[in-house]
Amino acid sequence: MTKNSYKTGPNELGYFGEGNSAMGGMAVGETLMPVLHELNQGFEDAIKDQSFLDEFNYHCKHYIGRPSPLYYAENLTKKLGGAKILFKREHLNHTLSHKVTNSLFQVLLAKRMGKKALICESGAGQHFSATAAVAAKFGMPLTGVMGDIDIARVNQNIIKAKHYGAELKSVPGTLKEAITEAIKTFSSNPDYAYICGSAVSSAPYPRIVQFAQSVIGREIREQSMEQEGRLPNMLIACCGGGSNLIGMIHEFLDEPEIIKIGVEAAETAALSNGTPGIMQGMKTYMLQTDDGSKSLGGSSLGAGIQYFSVGPQHAFLKDQGVVKYTSATDKEILEAYKLIASTEGICSALEPMAGAAELIKQAKNKPKDYLICLNLCGTGEKDLNTIQEHIGKDFE
Amino acid sequence: MSDRLKKIFAEKLPKTKLVSYFVGCYPTPEISLELIKEAINNGVSILEIGYCTSEASAEGPIIKAAHDHVLSNGHNLNDIIKLVKDIREYNQDVGIVLMGYIANLYKYPISNFVDDIKVAGADAVLVVDAPHELKEENQLREALNKNGLSLIKLVAPTTDDNRLKDIVKIASGFLYQVNVSGVTGVKSANEADVTNFVKRIRNLTDIPICSGFGIKSPEDAKKMANSGCNGVIVGSAFVKYIQDNIENKDLPQSLGNLVKNFTEELK
Repeated sequence: MTKNSYKTGPNELGYFGEGNSAMGGMAVGETLMPVLHELNQGFEDAIKDQSFLDEFNYHCKHYIGRPSPLYYAENLTKKLGGAKILFKREHLNHTLSHKVTNSLFQVLLAKRMGKKALICESGAGQHFSATAAVAAKFGMPLTGVMGDIDIARVNQNIIKAKHYGAELKSVPGTLKEAITEAIKTFSSNPDYAYICGSAVSSAPYPRIVQFAQSVIGREIREQSMEQEGRLPNMLIACCGGGSNLIGMIHEFLDEPEIIKIGVEAAETAALSNGTPGIMQGMKTYMLQTDDGSKSLGGSSLGAGIQYFSVGPQHAFLKDQGVVKYTSATDKEILEAYKLIASTEGICSALEPMAGAAELIKQAKNKPKDYLICLNLCGTGEKDLNTIQEHIGKDFE
Repeated sequence: MSDRLKKIFAEKLPKTKLVSYFVGCYPTPEISLELIKEAINNGVSILEIGYCTSEASAEGPIIKAAHDHVLSNGHNLNDIIKLVKDIREYNQDVGIVLMGYIANLYKYPISNFVDDIKVAGADAVLVVDAPHELKEENQLREALNKNGLSLIKLVAPTTDDNRLKDIVKIASGFLYQVNVSGVTGVKSANEADVTNFVKRIRNLTDIPICSGFGIKSPEDAKKMANSGCNGVIVGSAFVKYIQDNIENKDLPQSLGNLVKNFTEELK
């Protein structure tokens, strides 16, 4: 990482920052270390290969449908009476979330490296269904690991993944347990490719996911200049592991005049309420017991942001004061959902509504020429049962 | 480098040392101590005492269940270090290796941890998820070396020769040779693979090699002993026996008999 840019990290061992406060690294068993070094080399080679990048870009356009629109939320803007609000509509991508861009990139990388089978973990099931779709397209078998609590609440993604031909491995719990089990499955099958769904885990995953998702920010720059003649003043995204957030802000990390806000689930706000620790392959902020023996954290309605920890680059950006991190409660998430559904006719996933809750607070007090962009990173179809259960009566 | 581990491997008998893994404080601190005493009485050369972490990434279902049991009873690394002290008071010859994950050590923090385990009488530490690429591994290794203790390094079937050379250079006490890719207590080790792996390591170093993962019975242990390794490591088989006989009043004695079945094959 060069001292004058936040965009060049991490170093070759996966550290963001210097000395003892550096975040990230490689905290995995010996079985996976050679495999992860091989992956890092494969990644570095691939991103220097223009034909590989051309292939990725081609499928981004024709399979995923990128670029996703940058949409002026006119009714919401008028309703709140403050800043001008834009939505980056990542929920319109194929498989209905931002996840598929990363799945596409990593599956193409796995193919380039000669891998024959895939493993992934998932929380909200978005990464599972996205990876399953790409795996089907490129003819590779996939095993997805999910927690049984999540399997029960995001059933639609599971059904789709099954139709795409993926196998599902269930473990008791949620995303946290799925990640630990995915690492175990990977250790037992080190010749497989592990397609990590967020900017978390051991190096090189945080860097790979950041690379794949940072197309979001580059599109925002181009679209905002074209449509608005200028860049947003503020970027907001929800943050579980932090892939949609880093994808949105990475392009702008060296532009301090653009305010960046990440919003975690209040019940699992690792950056707001956690301390540095080392679990699940990385050093980062996390909720754990003081003695480091147990991960902690409650449950959020947003399965994809219910995670006790967070990607190490976010931990670093928090320490550097480059990004502001806050959190939203289930109640705020549901209120934001209602407002956006009724004003804009958009059924959003619950996760980005954590970002929307912060957006509502921020927009109200800003002048009309202040431009705020929210990353709307997923669709609400997977959450309809949960939403109906909690606020269905409010719409009757 | 731990003098006690050096002495253990310098002794001619038993020909192959039995290294046995027990989850510390499982099923309770008191019974755990009794079990370990019986293991010592029946010829274990080195004890690996496991401390627990909720997100342990290398444990199969048997050891994970034991970890969860200890965590839900509220026993942490401090209790395990107390257990080490009790074991050391009981016996001054057995090697004691604390084994677990970096999460707890980082929070302890590392410098205090090394001081405390030295006082308690441990000889070495093995951290499953701390490769030499990790800053905290470097800190831990330096502190242990300074105090005459060892950081036990692991090598796996995926470890290539270049990496093996790097690991051998920093290894201390003995080298933990992981026989199969995966988690504890699931796959079985293959004799020919293990023998070839031992040869590959022997070409590079004279450090004692202990072979672990996938050794489930005294017969397995005997086969693996023929690979040329200096010790065999048995973990899940003992933990499973304890799990299956947890209500049995004579558990320490019967576990001792099981340990004897292994040590008899390794004499």
